Amino acid sequence: MSDDDFLRVTDVSKWYGDEKVLEDVSFEMDRGDVTVLIGPSGSGKSTMLRCVNRLAEAQEGSILLDGEEVLSPDLDVDELRREVGMVFQGFNLFAHLTAVGNVALGPRRVLGLSETAARERAEEQLERVGLADQLDSYPAELSGGQQQRVGIARALAMEPKLMLFDEPTSALDPELIGEVLEVMHGLVEEGMTMLVVTHEMSFAREVADEIVFLDDGRVVERGPPEQLFDRPEEERTGRFLERIASHD
Amino acid sequence: MASATRPATVRERVADADRSVGRLLLVAAGALFWGWLVASWVNRWLGGVLVPVGQPLIPAGAVETAFAAIPGFAAYAADAAFVVELTPELSRGTWLTVVITAVSLVLGFFIAVPLAVTRVYGRFSAWLSLAYTELLRGTPLLAQLFVLYYGLNLASYVPGAFSGVFARDVVWVAILGFTLNGAAYQAEYIRGALESVEEGQITAGRAIGLSKLETIYYVVLPQGLRYAIPSWTNEFVYLIKYSSLAAFITVPELYYRADQIASETFRYTLIFVVTGVTYLALVLTASKLMERVEERVSIPGLGADSEE
Amino acid sequence: MSDPGTLALAAAASVATDLPAGDGLAALAAAGGSADWWVVGEPADWGFVRRNADYLGVGALLTIGLTFASILLGFVVGFPAGAVEVYGDGLLKRAVSTVGIVLRGTPIVVILIVMYFVVGVPQINLGVASISSAMTAGILGLGLRSAAYQSQIFRASLSSVDEGQLEAGRSIGLSRFEAVRYVVVPQALRRSIPGFQNEFTIVLKDTSIVFAIGLAELLTRGYDLFSEQTTAVLEVILFISAIYFVLTFTTNRALDYLGDRYAIPEGESA
Ligand SMILES: Nc1ncnc2c1ncn2[C@@H]1O[C@H](COP(=O)(O)OP(=O)(O)OP(=O)(O)O)[C@@H](O)[C@H]1O
Ligand SMILES: [Mg+2]
Repeated sequence: MSDDDFLRVTDVSKWYGDEKVLEDVSFEMDRGDVTVLIGPSGSGKSTMLRCVNRLAEAQEGSILLDGEEVLSPDLDVDELRREVGMVFQGFNLFAHLTAVGNVALGPRRVLGLSETAARERAEEQLERVGLADQLDSYPAELSGGQQQRVGIARALAMEPKLMLFDEPTSALDPELIGEVLEVMHGLVEEGMTMLVVTHEMSFAREVADEIVFLDDGRVVERGPPEQLFDRPEEERTGRFLERIASHD
Repeated sequence: MASATRPATVRERVADADRSVGRLLLVAAGALFWGWLVASWVNRWLGGVLVPVGQPLIPAGAVETAFAAIPGFAAYAADAAFVVELTPELSRGTWLTVVITAVSLVLGFFIAVPLAVTRVYGRFSAWLSLAYTELLRGTPLLAQLFVLYYGLNLASYVPGAFSGVFARDVVWVAILGFTLNGAAYQAEYIRGALESVEEGQITAGRAIGLSKLETIYYVVLPQGLRYAIPSWTNEFVYLIKYSSLAAFITVPELYYRADQIASETFRYTLIFVVTGVTYLALVLTASKLMERVEERVSIPGLGADSEE
Repeated sequence: MSDPGTLALAAAASVATDLPAGDGLAALAAAGGSADWWVVGEPADWGFVRRNADYLGVGALLTIGLTFASILLGFVVGFPAGAVEVYGDGLLKRAVSTVGIVLRGTPIVVILIVMYFVVGVPQINLGVASISSAMTAGILGLGLRSAAYQSQIFRASLSSVDEGQLEAGRSIGLSRFEAVRYVVVPQALRRSIPGFQNEFTIVLKDTSIVFAIGLAELLTRGYDLFSEQTTAVLEVILFISAIYFVLTFTTNRALDYLGDRYAIPEGESA
């Protein structure tokens, strides 16, 4: 742990009513790192991710992003979200806008780019995710994999310094998962800092610098993929990995 | 069973043919109706360029002779002439009906959107909005018009800038009444539509850094308002029909003029059948118009064709 | 008013000219200046309303009676009409749907006037009581218009019942009519409750429009009262509006209750 960690999450706790869904969660990332959160359903992975861009409010602890306290009440959350991109399990594309419209909305309305500049940027980003030929399609006219790639382009268009992925492939048919993972691979190679929740273990093993295993809102174990996947120290980690493997 | 199927398909084919003939007739009737209306309006505005103001576009006498000449129609010749004589007054009334409806609908919309938004996303203001819509939807429109006209005597408070736009200031009272009433109904439709926009759309908007208001404006409203179009059509039709109640606060719109002529001539049957048909034509036009609007703004995957 | 129908509009104009200018807003403004700022109007005029509460109460009863009679007529005619639009074919279906379009596209006030003057319904004598021709015209006008709307409610709910339900009925040996009667209709009726609720309050509010044919229901009685004492206009109208509001509000809550009570447990429609 060094003082110049890019993202440092320290002892974060969160309650929904009386239910404690995160308990003293800590981990940290350097610039360009890829960290993968894994854990059983309901363990708090999504909640942890959403605390980072304040779509959920953590009650205790600290999240330092680039030296700034994310949880500070004075922080401008819209500003924070400009710098942190998010990709959703259910895509959440704006249903009334075309692919280009979806990607351009943020640059146009949040960054204040001109109509043409925003469109140009949107086209660039869609090209980057391999959708140059679907610019004017509406979400309903795209396959799930294509929709999710628009979702990624939409986040990238804000030129974020951190990307959050919440199970980006788990709503997809198996044959469509590959194209999304390929795009994410590309981002890793470009050096994007990424915090990813996924059940794609082979993807995690390939790209992650660190795996964080959450259970019941607590970090049970964390470490580089080789260690966590091949020689887990905790019994619970092993059991979880076995269960996942038997489903594949 | 099999024999029952065959005649049915034949019948259907006949029905199809009938229907397209029917549609053609409807379109022709619509064109005639609007052509006549617009021509009478223009004639009046330009001070009688076609025929003297107050005269029917076609002389009633000519219509009577024409009818008398057609075998089988001779018995209706006098009635036809009478209807033609009615047309200048009815077209005048229809103008006011159209204006009152259109203005109230649009003004009501601009009140309804904030009402609906606060109802869905507000806290204290949600209660205010609820109280407003419940009160206006829970009492008769005619009683509301009476409150404004007889109770508050608003006709004598019309601001100078508005006064004189219409021949009678009371038209503004009617517009105010329909706007306030229509806003409550429209707000209810729009609220339903906003609530049918998925939660994830808002989350996604917030996640790219739009503020809550921006998300509502750029993401929720464009979708919600499209969902609201079919019920907006209902509201349009409702206003056309209920604008007739303005007659009871002395606004000289279509129904008022019809009633006046009827009480002078005692030809209630003919006059009100013609009046009814005029309203029907306005209503059918409005629903066709809104169908077109819906087609124009439709987006794949949103609203009616979302099942595809 | 000897011939209230023809005179309704003329009377409207004359009362307007009788009104002291600025009376209404002045009453509000005066209230604003007094100690009891929340009281709209004058105590004396509220006293006038109180003295005539019985008279208005009878009007409210007439309003309720008119509503029930019209809704009932609307159901008796509207339900078969809806069924014809779903299951019928040919001329009958087209006739029914055309009449429906005409009734739904014409202002209720025109329909009422046509019933009153054109159809010229006679006074109905029942021996003990007689129903005035205005009342008959009111029930016919409101009832038939309501039938046109109720037919749409039932058409929608009948066609929303899954095709498989009808087939299942036929498969156990019911005739087509029996399958519709015993399988589809019970489900459809329950699904009609929300639309029916809407229709009920619309009819209730629209009974006020029989003002046009001079039937002495709530609004007409209010009108007659404030024509008599023109300083009490606002008080009278607010009072009758409150009665209407209570009526629609309780109707809605009652039908909500009915809806919950007879709701079919979920899963049935799937
Ligand atoms: N908005 C909310 N209100 C109340 N409880 C919530 C809310 N969101 C999540 N929870 C609860 O918090 C806990 C953690 O949820 P979370 O969605 O973070 O889990 P997860 O690890 O992402 O699960 P999954 O793999 O199913 O997505 C769960 O018990 C959930 O029920
Ligand atoms: Mg999750």
